[in-house]
Amino acid sequence: MKRISIVLSVLIAISMLLAACQPAPAATDVPVATDAPMATDAPKATDAPKATEAPMATTAPVDANSLPREETLYFNGQQWGTVVCWNPYSSNCNNAMALAQQDNARVPMFETPYLYDMLDGNVYPLLADGPFKWDDGMTQITFKLNPAAKWSDGTPVTADDVAYTWASHVKYNTQFGAANKDYIDTIEAADPLTVVVKAKLGEDGKAINPLLVNAYLSSNYVIQKAWTQTLEARTGGDAAAFMADVADDVVFSGPYHKFFSDDSKVVLIRDDNYWGQDASMFGKLPIPKYLAHVIYKDNAAGTTALQAGEVDVSQQFNSNVQDFWLKQNLPISTYLPDAPYGIGASLPTAFFNKASYGLDQLAIRKAIAIAVDYDTIIANAMTNQSATFAQVPRSLMNPTPGEQALYDHDAVKDLQWVGNDIEGANKLLDDAGIKDTNGDGWREFNGKDLHYVATCPDGWSDWQAAIEVVAAAGKNIGIDITTNYPDWSVYQTIVTNWPLPEKDFDIFMMWSDGAGPTQPWGRIRHLLSGEFAETTNNWNGNWGAYNNPEVNAWIAELPTMSDPAAMKEVYTNLVKAYLTDIPSFTLMYRPQSFHTVNESVWTNFPHENDGTNPPVPPLDMTDGWAIAGLYNLTLVK
Amino acid sequence: MKGYRKYFLNKILWLLITLVFAFILNFILPRMMPGDPVAAIVARLAQGMSNSTGMKQVYEQYTSLFGTNLPLYQQFFIYVNNALHGNFGISFSQYPRTVSDILKSSLIWTIALQFPAIIVGWIIGNTLGALAAYLKKGFDKVLLPVSIFISNFPPFGMAVILLVIFAVNLKWFPTSGGYGFDLIPNLSWKFVWSVIVHYQLPFWSIVLIAIGGQAIGMRSMSIYELNADYVKYSRFLGIKDRKIVWYVFRNAMLPQVTGLALSIGTMVSGALIAEIIFSYPGLGTTLLNGIKGQDYPLISATTLIITLMVLFANFVVELVYGLIDPRIKAAQAD
Repeated sequence: MKRISIVLSVLIAISMLLAACQPAPAATDVPVATDAPMATDAPKATDAPKATEAPMATTAPVDANSLPREETLYFNGQQWGTVVCWNPYSSNCNNAMALAQQDNARVPMFETPYLYDMLDGNVYPLLADGPFKWDDGMTQITFKLNPAAKWSDGTPVTADDVAYTWASHVKYNTQFGAANKDYIDTIEAADPLTVVVKAKLGEDGKAINPLLVNAYLSSNYVIQKAWTQTLEARTGGDAAAFMADVADDVVFSGPYHKFFSDDSKVVLIRDDNYWGQDASMFGKLPIPKYLAHVIYKDNAAGTTALQAGEVDVSQQFNSNVQDFWLKQNLPISTYLPDAPYGIGASLPTAFFNKASYGLDQLAIRKAIAIAVDYDTIIANAMTNQSATFAQVPRSLMNPTPGEQALYDHDAVKDLQWVGNDIEGANKLLDDAGIKDTNGDGWREFNGKDLHYVATCPDGWSDWQAAIEVVAAAGKNIGIDITTNYPDWSVYQTIVTNWPLPEKDFDIFMMWSDGAGPTQPWGRIRHLLSGEFAETTNNWNGNWGAYNNPEVNAWIAELPTMSDPAAMKEVYTNLVKAYLTDIPSFTLMYRPQSFHTVNESVWTNFPHENDGTNPPVPPLDMTDGWAIAGLYNLTLVK
Repeated sequence: MKGYRKYFLNKILWLLITLVFAFILNFILPRMMPGDPVAAIVARLAQGMSNSTGMKQVYEQYTSLFGTNLPLYQQFFIYVNNALHGNFGISFSQYPRTVSDILKSSLIWTIALQFPAIIVGWIIGNTLGALAAYLKKGFDKVLLPVSIFISNFPPFGMAVILLVIFAVNLKWFPTSGGYGFDLIPNLSWKFVWSVIVHYQLPFWSIVLIAIGGQAIGMRSMSIYELNADYVKYSRFLGIKDRKIVWYVFRNAMLPQVTGLALSIGTMVSGALIAEIIFSYPGLGTTLLNGIKGQDYPLISATTLIITLMVLFANFVVELVYGLIDPRIKAAQAD
């Protein structure tokens, strides 16, 4: 027994000794977080892996111990959690720095034929050469590829690559194939540099939806045919394996590629042989050698790093962003110098559940919508990073000038409300005979008290703040609105599957589309189209199940229209219908991406009136035409 | 030693029975959560999807891939078979990453942070508690209120206080991460030093809170033991103080050892608060996200590890008890 005691004592002593061996950092010795590594530490340009080399393994790059601060552009708010794969056919790579095939496709590693610019609504060629053209019968698009465009292995990007990418999306039923195969029939190579995109045709012999065919060209990457065939050989034609492949050997055409990734960060390194330095494209390489994203666990950690100068471009919500420069005197700025600080692009929306008692009544829906104090939502939930509804009156359009010009403002003026109209809401309910007859403080409809639950996912703090303001509005007009915040995993299962429950999900928040080549049509479709009403697995929209045949017909008609005046009339009709029927209502405007920059190391970021032409949008220097911003950066010192 | 063998076999039998039930619960409980994990994956894919039939196809593709469309008993047998082969399956929340890969990369950070923190907190706490009981007077009067004050700090409060004082204001330590934001893992001294520096605040945020609780417990136990008859008798006999203190410490330590074993057993669930506040790598946030995303394979694998570690730790404690305190062995072996 004595021996065992001795052994135990020795073990404890060793543990203590080991613990004591933890070097206690002396204050003066500790590198301060804001210290930039010396430029001399930088691996020389020649150390960079050559374009033809396979991207390095995730474990340990051999010749680089640190990322030189003055060659690295740091991001936050894009990458949450560990990168899973580098496969452009997959939608599950959780690889926000490299992969995002969307309205404003993320193009540092993989490239699309065209780049969308949300500021002017135009697309500009990237892999393509010149604009694309529809034939006279509106059945197919033809475009040329830039002969200078090359893959990272040095081979040219060809029309065959574009065609094979589409064929693979369809063959393996990828998300991108499934999303577009109702609108795109085939993509073919007319010659090595000419691509023909044949649309699926409607009964009138014209493309069913030319807008979505257009959008494919700026939303979806071109992937190398030879690499795709390698992947196919590796996965034996199995669709699940094809999309689940980690693709560490992927060939790319963009200016950056994988350098390092682990649970703490992801780093892309510039390909110094990038074809885009050709005079026909950017004429030079993008300025930062590395694009790095430390994986922060929450917004607060990301904000602290931004303040410390460890982040250059912040794509996350930083509350009271103006305090950075007004109170803390930090060299931090936003796209606009004053509120709303960014360009609003999407419309976070509260939906009415039409199955809830009384919410089929327009008077009740409208009373709630006009009673909400939107200024408080914008001040509290968005800390003024949204235009107010006095500045940009509500419609179906986002605040960008391009979309605002699409409808007749005067024609809908009487229907637009600014909010906090308690008097108007009370009068509306009184006139509709919806009154408190039993004196309990709550109005009744057909003898039954109006009690509702307003909801959004738990932890989505800006949404929760907005929902609280909606609930407060109810109290002012005699309608009892309480709040409830289920976990997202439960919330999403319920709102995307009709029928919605008759209680607990009476007023609920969901998102709307942002800016993109199909907008505002896509957003309107997702907010109002009857095709999504009362469906299951509905991730598209119209979760309140609004269905108006006239509106459906306008939505179906718009993509095939080309006369701007006629389109304006239809858009105006749609806004009128939306503001009249009120199946849902916008609570605030939200930027496509938050874009806050710290100019302690890099400067010349996109700002309003920065003189760029085409204008570089505030989309983190990676999305759509925003990538052009990487070529304009300069060092502060 | 015969009695000890019986005691040992008895403990093993109960260990196995508990393990079987824990294994079944590990499988069933996550699957009883409301919600649909595949819907979460489809949600990630939904962006850009403009037709509902495509969405439905993708949904069905994933339900069959993950087997969530199979009856629960079939899923269980597949799980048992895979688990026996050391395969915990593919994570839902980080598809197509395997659960083993996730555990491999994050578990080491959690253990490296938690294990020393628990041990150091336990040792310092118990030493201070024993000293307070023995020395009394000024030391005890200061230590007790300070321990109560510190041990009642909520963990996030302690972490935020350390962060604001030492990282944000004094800039002695970095604010986040497991190593420098500008470094790539390698074996250089610069990187190792960076890991050590980044380790300090998360480590002490756990240790400081642990010390208080341990010290209070140990102090009470020691005071009780110091007044026991055998101590008085030993003093009458003229046995040296050092010897008496050792006996006191050994007896007072028994409940503390149980606490230590449980802490070590549950450590892989992660120092969630420290990980979030300091953006420190580890299993805590991975598991939290797994639970939020209803990642059954990840939850089951992690809870299985926790179960195994708690059972093992308890088993070891029971065995050590048998050695430290013969009364327990005697009582159990009868």
